[in-house]
Amino acid sequence: MPAMHRFLPRSLLGQMLLAVALALLAAQTLSAVLIYRADHQRREAALISSLAFQLVSDPRFEFREGRNGRGGHPGRRKIRMERTLESPLQNGELHDPEREAALKDVLVAQDIAIDKLVVFARKVTDDDYVMSGRAGPVAGPEGRWSLDDDALIAGLKRAGENEWLVARVPRPEHNTRALGGLILQTLVLYIALVGGLAFLLRRITRPLAALTERMSRFAGRAEGLAPLEPSGPEDTRALIMAHNEMEARIAALLDEKDVMLGAIGHDLKTPLAALRVRIESVDDEAERAKMAATIEDITHSLDDILSLARVGHAKDPLERTDLAALVSSVVEEYEDLGEPVELGDTIRIALPLRATWLRRALRNLIDNALRYGGAAEVSLAREEGYAAICVSDNGPGIPEGEIAAMFEPFARGEASRNRSTGGAGLGLTLARAIAEQHGGSLSLTNRVEDGRIVGLAAELRLPQKG
Amino acid sequence: MSDQPTRLLLVDDEASLREPLADYLSRQGFLVEQASDAAKARAALLVTTPDLVLLDIMMPGEDGISLCRHLTESKDLPVIFLTARGEATDRIVGLEIGADDYVVKPFEPRELVARIRSVLRRAARSGGAAPASEALYAFEGWLLDPLKRRLTDPEGTVVPISSAEFRLLSAFLDHPRQVLDRDRLLDMVQGREAHLFDRAVDNQVSRLRRKMEADSRDPRLIQTVWGGGYRLACDVERVAPARVED
Repeated sequence: MPAMHRFLPRSLLGQMLLAVALALLAAQTLSAVLIYRADHQRREAALISSLAFQLVSDPRFEFREGRNGRGGHPGRRKIRMERTLESPLQNGELHDPEREAALKDVLVAQDIAIDKLVVFARKVTDDDYVMSGRAGPVAGPEGRWSLDDDALIAGLKRAGENEWLVARVPRPEHNTRALGGLILQTLVLYIALVGGLAFLLRRITRPLAALTERMSRFAGRAEGLAPLEPSGPEDTRALIMAHNEMEARIAALLDEKDVMLGAIGHDLKTPLAALRVRIESVDDEAERAKMAATIEDITHSLDDILSLARVGHAKDPLERTDLAALVSSVVEEYEDLGEPVELGDTIRIALPLRATWLRRALRNLIDNALRYGGAAEVSLAREEGYAAICVSDNGPGIPEGEIAAMFEPFARGEASRNRSTGGAGLGLTLARAIAEQHGGSLSLTNRVEDGRIVGLAAELRLPQKG
Repeated sequence: MSDQPTRLLLVDDEASLREPLADYLSRQGFLVEQASDAAKARAALLVTTPDLVLLDIMMPGEDGISLCRHLTESKDLPVIFLTARGEATDRIVGLEIGADDYVVKPFEPRELVARIRSVLRRAARSGGAAPASEALYAFEGWLLDPLKRRLTDPEGTVVPISSAEFRLLSAFLDHPRQVLDRDRLLDMVQGREAHLFDRAVDNQVSRLRRKMEADSRDPRLIQTVWGGGYRLACDVERVAPARVED
């Protein structure tokens, strides 16, 4: 029943409470039924013995029942038992063989010789003998007989006698008060148990919820969080403490990574600088230019690596910046170097952003376009809810299946394998990380015209609020 | 420049860089003295006074920033930082304590020479080291922070500009309402990226207009003077860098 799943609770707290509530309901129902049945049997036995007592004792002495009336009437009343020549069972009335058998057992045990025995129920209002008051007061606060009840009537004809002796006891139709008490008792037990359990379970699930929340926060940004306070039962505490240890270790590793990358950057840049100075003494100008280009490539890769290490926790604040001016100033740098980079359509958009980082992302995208496409066009447009910077080239594009892999560190397009140049392959990874640092995204799509790939377009989207 | 060779003090703990760099600079006609740490540099300064100091930031013992503060405060010497870090924050820290410029390792030796000459030229003009002033330029609601090279429009939005555009704008802001012809502008604007600045001044002006003017065909700020050149058509105030914006 898949539709049922929708109504089942999903949390630990909900599921356990439901299971316990169902089990408790089953147990309570069972015990209620047992109690009800035992009570029923007890009352049944009381009725039978009352009838038997009347039938056995009457011929010997008068049965009396005393009650204290409020009106000051003396408390003793004589109740006579009916004697008839006919069986009390009238036409249309059904005798009750089960109760007859039970009564017979009692009478036989008293050594009474039975000729005929009949037991049946009749409504009090239909019984003339009771209504005449001879079997005790009818109705009212002192009434032995209530008009709503049945009368249980037993007729006995002893062996060798002509007369029937008839005994009557009131039999209340339903004992609803007992059943109500039982339901109330079940309810109280239910509330106490489920409430207590809910409290206990909350103690388990609250630290779990805190831990879950903490882990998702840690996954997002690993800095500046004090360790989580262990709470809840021993098992949960142990889990939280283990988590704290793991978190501390991850944080230490991340710190170590940043320190190491910083040291690598510093330690490599000084010898690179020395190398860059030394090649000035190379006389062959072409050779020197190649060396300088190689050193520049290494420096560029090194900067990408260092930036990638820092991109997740940039310290510089977001500043409201004219994006169009930023895009055009980057394009102008390339223009000034004589690179074939063109500024397409732009639109004035001001966004809170980190200009240094965004410049870097843009440069990486343009460098890629130049490397694989030979030329680049950069445009800026406003789309639904975001600003889109698009860098497109006229290169061979990327096979559809390989686009996702391009974002992996050190992935490179097909074209670069045929060329001696090519960065560390961190360019796109870093550009995407920078887009994500701004809450945006980076996507690559082939530009298709007439079913043919005519180039690649990289689109960097930045969310625009309001 | 004068007939006497320019004297440089090169302070860097890395002999592998310091020695070839000193050789290179000597070949370029500079008289180079070397020091491997801040203490040796201070000792050397007692004997001779160089025209300019090249200073590594990260050094064991006293670091370059502390030495730079001493140099600019007590000796008023021009300083160029050599740094392995390229963060914008380093730049600001460096310039705020009075360094005149900086290069990021690994730098192109020719660029370093160009910057040394540029700093010396500026120092000669102003009669001593002339670190960039902290005061902001305020004009028509715009603000230019010369230290951070940060231009903000009347609404407080940062408008990114290139180094060439920054120097061009600074030239205009230093001479408001004056007609500046192309040669004069080119002379004032030629800076560290002199070799990059091969496009006509007109090109840079039109770029700047695209970023700053509401309608670049009807410029209100930077106006063209027929036959003459360009003119900044507004008044300029220097204001303390109180944090008004943001």
